[in-house]
Amino acid sequence: MTLTDDELVARSMGGDAESFNQLILRWERPIYALAYRVIGREEDARDVCQETFLRAFRALPGFKRQAKFSSWIYRIALNLCRDWIRRQRRAPVMQMPEGVDPGELVAEQGPVESIEDLVGRRQLSEVVEEAMALLPEEQRTAIVLKEYHGMTFQEIADMQGCPLSTVKTRLYQGLTVLRRHLEKNGRLSSSVEGAMTPRLVKRS
Amino acid sequence: MNETFTCGDHGALMSYLYDECTPAERRTILAHAAICGACAQELAALGATREQLAAWTSPDAELGFNIVSDAPASNVLRPTQWWKKPMPAWAQAAAAALIFATGVTLGTLRGPLPSAARAPQGSAPQASAVAATSAPVTRADLAALEQRLRAEMSQVRATTSPASGDARVLERVRAMIDDSEQRQRRELALRTTEMVRDFDAQRSDDLVRIERTLGQMDGTTGAEVVQQRQMLNYLMRVSQRGQ
Repeated sequence: MTLTDDELVARSMGGDAESFNQLILRWERPIYALAYRVIGREEDARDVCQETFLRAFRALPGFKRQAKFSSWIYRIALNLCRDWIRRQRRAPVMQMPEGVDPGELVAEQGPVESIEDLVGRRQLSEVVEEAMALLPEEQRTAIVLKEYHGMTFQEIADMQGCPLSTVKTRLYQGLTVLRRHLEKNGRLSSSVEGAMTPRLVKRS
Repeated sequence: MNETFTCGDHGALMSYLYDECTPAERRTILAHAAICGACAQELAALGATREQLAAWTSPDAELGFNIVSDAPASNVLRPTQWWKKPMPAWAQAAAAALIFATGVTLGTLRGPLPSAARAPQGSAPQASAVAATSAPVTRADLAALEQRLRAEMSQVRATTSPASGDARVLERVRAMIDDSEQRQRRELALRTTEMVRDFDAQRSDDLVRIERTLGQMDGTTGAEVVQQRQMLNYLMRVSQRGQ
């Protein structure tokens, strides 16, 4: 039987560490992905992820359960990311792969994607990563929460502690910078058509 | 948002782009985009940008964090006093052998004493006789006493010699125990090394297998998403034509 987050939180608050470990198992990947995309370093993202769950575990007795556990833990992670960026006092350094290893590509090749597709996807991923590094922290965080974690404008506003209209402005400005960077790198045509359909993004 | 859309309303554009607007707002923006090339172009470009963002994936990382609760006080590891530690079997055997040897030695040392003690008892009548007769002690008596004492001392020496033999046995036992311990340590180190090597090999094999599986799953999911998106676009175009 799969327990809900609320049930696991209740059990954890009753002193059941194993229930909290189940919450960790459920949320560590999204939290790691969030931290990686916001701060841009694998090792530091891992540390932030670990620290997030440690802090949550320590603060569990004070958790009011008015908010969702996921929102609570996202907020802790974002605060830690913000602290990390403040400590670094510089733009995040993206880890660029030095080259594409053909052997690795063959090993990764799936039944659908060809090597050419895989190389193209990797290169595009690098360009996007570069472009994201150009954004100010608030815009980057807003885009990461929206695009990769499927949060609503209101959830992002709560998370970032700003009005809903500010979230929309941050998203618009961030997307515009990304668009220009992608166009400059030949990843996006300056006259794009047929992309007006909104798409829904699943929470990762 | 109002029922009319004006160029430059970025908030409304974002609401439309992320599908967080009412059907009426959607219709308004679509109607505006149909007559405003700039807004239509911007919406298309931002939508295409969003699609490109999907290519950015976070790297795989070994996570698997776990909260470990504090162990009960009885299980908490802390340095124990040496006299409270359980004694290994070999040490118990050595201690038993030592106690046995000491007992044997003391026993043999004490053995002659009762006979020595008996001697005065035996000589007591003589002494009393001497005292009774009040005869003076002659040189011959002293010589006889000396000889008797020497004989007893040599007996004692003879009886104490097995003790040194026990000590040698004890040393040999200790040496054997030490050898056995060293052998066991070597074997343990060898087995540990083999286990670590086997574990690492198995782990790397598993990681390669998992990565391959994930890569395949990723490719399949991507293809499905593309198909669904194409279908959705097609449906939208068809429905727009219908209107």
